[in-house]
Amino acid sequence: MAASLPTTITRSARLSVDAEAVPCARGASPTPARPAARTRAPLWLHLHLPHLALDVLTRGGDGERACVLVEPGVRRPQVLLSNRHAAALGIRAGMPLAAAHALGQLGVLERDERAEQAALVQLCQWALQFTSEVSAVAPDGLVLEVDGSLKLFGGLESLLQQLRGGLRRLGYRADYAVAPTPLAAALLARARPRAIVRDKNQLPDCLAHLPLTALRLEPAVQAALGQLGVRTLGDCRRLPRNGLARRFSPLLLEHLDRLFGQRADPRPGFEPPRRFASAIELPWEVDSARALLVAGERLLGELGGYLRGSSALTQRLRWHLVDRDGGRECFDLALAEPSRDEQHMLLLLRETLMRKRLAVPVRAIGLDVADLTSQRAPHMQDLFTPRRQGHAEGYAAFADRLRARCGERALRGLGVLPQHRPEAAFGWRRPLLNAGRMTTLAEQGAGGRQVRRPLWLLERPLRLAVRDSQPWFEGPLALVPGRERIQSSWWEEESLARDYFTAITARGGRLWVFRELGGARRWYLHGIFE
Amino acid sequence: MTLQELMQRAGMWRGGELPPLATHPTGFAGLDAILPGGGWPQAGLVEILTASSGIGALRLVLPMLAAASRAGDWIVWVDPPHIPYAPALDAGGVALSRVLLVDLPTRSTASGEDDEILWACEQALRFADCAVALMWLGATTPALPMRRLQLAAEAGATTGIVFRPATCAAQSSPALLRLALETPAGEEGSTPLALEVKVIKARGTHHGARCRL
Repeated sequence: MAASLPTTITRSARLSVDAEAVPCARGASPTPARPAARTRAPLWLHLHLPHLALDVLTRGGDGERACVLVEPGVRRPQVLLSNRHAAALGIRAGMPLAAAHALGQLGVLERDERAEQAALVQLCQWALQFTSEVSAVAPDGLVLEVDGSLKLFGGLESLLQQLRGGLRRLGYRADYAVAPTPLAAALLARARPRAIVRDKNQLPDCLAHLPLTALRLEPAVQAALGQLGVRTLGDCRRLPRNGLARRFSPLLLEHLDRLFGQRADPRPGFEPPRRFASAIELPWEVDSARALLVAGERLLGELGGYLRGSSALTQRLRWHLVDRDGGRECFDLALAEPSRDEQHMLLLLRETLMRKRLAVPVRAIGLDVADLTSQRAPHMQDLFTPRRQGHAEGYAAFADRLRARCGERALRGLGVLPQHRPEAAFGWRRPLLNAGRMTTLAEQGAGGRQVRRPLWLLERPLRLAVRDSQPWFEGPLALVPGRERIQSSWWEEESLARDYFTAITARGGRLWVFRELGGARRWYLHGIFE
Repeated sequence: MTLQELMQRAGMWRGGELPPLATHPTGFAGLDAILPGGGWPQAGLVEILTASSGIGALRLVLPMLAAASRAGDWIVWVDPPHIPYAPALDAGGVALSRVLLVDLPTRSTASGEDDEILWACEQALRFADCAVALMWLGATTPALPMRRLQLAAEAGATTGIVFRPATCAAQSSPALLRLALETPAGEEGSTPLALEVKVIKARGTHHGARCRL
């Protein structure tokens, strides 16, 4: 085109002006400079768990025994699924159980469909940490929409790696595939695991060779299509559309359209429950609490996924152990401050379980977390405060570890109470909490009285023997002149009247002793000055 | 080879020249003078050996406890033999809100420490926000746990004060500093109580120094 600017700029001419401004090869049509609106192309990831029925029953154990799954209540049971060790022995699906037993030592587990469904729900909950659009695909898969999460997780590869690692930690074996439509992702995950297809236009080529059975159609439809000579999905696609709709149902056409992306396939999103509740049935009974650690770790993995997905923190974990009669034993793990640090919780669980003695053998372990708080904004610390960075976290971790190993009351703080009686003048408190009734001596205004108090107080005053009318403790005690008389009011329940003295032992130590004023006038040791 | 050349060699150092040790001032001028670095080491174990109880071992560290607690660091008492009396600590200047007591369900009696106590000591020493951890161990604690405690104290930058009976003075110990306390003879009746502090082990040339407080 001649490079001359038109004198009048009309709307249609504006485009050509822009076109001339862009240098382009002769003959090629210039692209308009106005950028096209960018639409987000969804990318679906399907997780296929072919061994779900077996994994859900064996993940509570350590995975070292050969296990097979059978259908319960059948007269001549057949092996449905076998785990790694059983497969190594040569056991395959479809083999009669009696034959399988001949091949080696086996653990036989009966299929539990309710547990499978619960496990699928748990997996959906766990997967919410990767994306907010998760949908279960019964009976053994779930699908995630991951295009929105790719940036956060640093790319598809990184996301897949985290997903694989997480599933391994939970104890599941899974195959996956990524495709632009959920149905295509499901097909690929079952037939060609680990396939990644990003472009919708490549789908027909990728799916063309897959057999028709991959579609999981009804048997009648499948047989009818088979009679037509349709073997693969490519053949199916080439059939005329109206004919297909008339001969079979329009639903088949719709299914194919959804598969190849010509029609939208909205999936119902998974709604997480308000509280977390999960349990693992152990493949065999355990009678030592240490063996529960594997199952506990898996449950904590699920909890971590749930907390991350819901942006929540928790402060209390409620565990329960179920024995074979259904009896429950509960114990709590409390954290000093809300967190979702799985490693920290695992450490506390390990400490607690190491010290636990089981009264009866345990068949299942469960975890309930109802105490959820939403995540707070991080503490705004002063940039220049030295060494205070880890203040809150350091104390919380220390306190949790100590309480988990040594008991709830292992860690205490001290406070001063305004009381005359020496043993009542101090009190225990929870560290870091409000002091409450406790004050300091300065606040009490006791500055006027210069009283010396011993640094150590005995838990209970120790009765002293008297020899030659002198109190005796590892030698005769010499009393320093000067006494303090403490008398509590007569209206108090335990009224006391004591004369307190400082006494020096034969070895040079200083003790705080008192003598009762009434009654038997006995001598007691109450404290030690240091 | 002259003496200068020998001194230049890597691997040779003079007893008096050591890198300065970070310390907390003890609060007693006489004691500061005889300790390396002029105070309690900020990261490491200090053993205080006493022949009998009640002669003033805790009083020795009280100024440091007061200073550390007022600065906002935690003071952890691991399984103390008796109850630390709060009014007395308060009168001594310790901020009670920073005092933590660890009470363990099992107490060791005569021989050997419970594993629980040693574990709790190690946790307290590793706790970064704890400035001082006070521990009471017996004479028969083997050397390996003591070494672990020393390493934990260095890792957590905590001063670990270990009170032990004087009978273990002859044993070797990995602590950075070891002091022996006794009441000077002939002064039993005096108040305030006189105390004689002798340095059994210290970095540098302070071994054998004494002071009277």
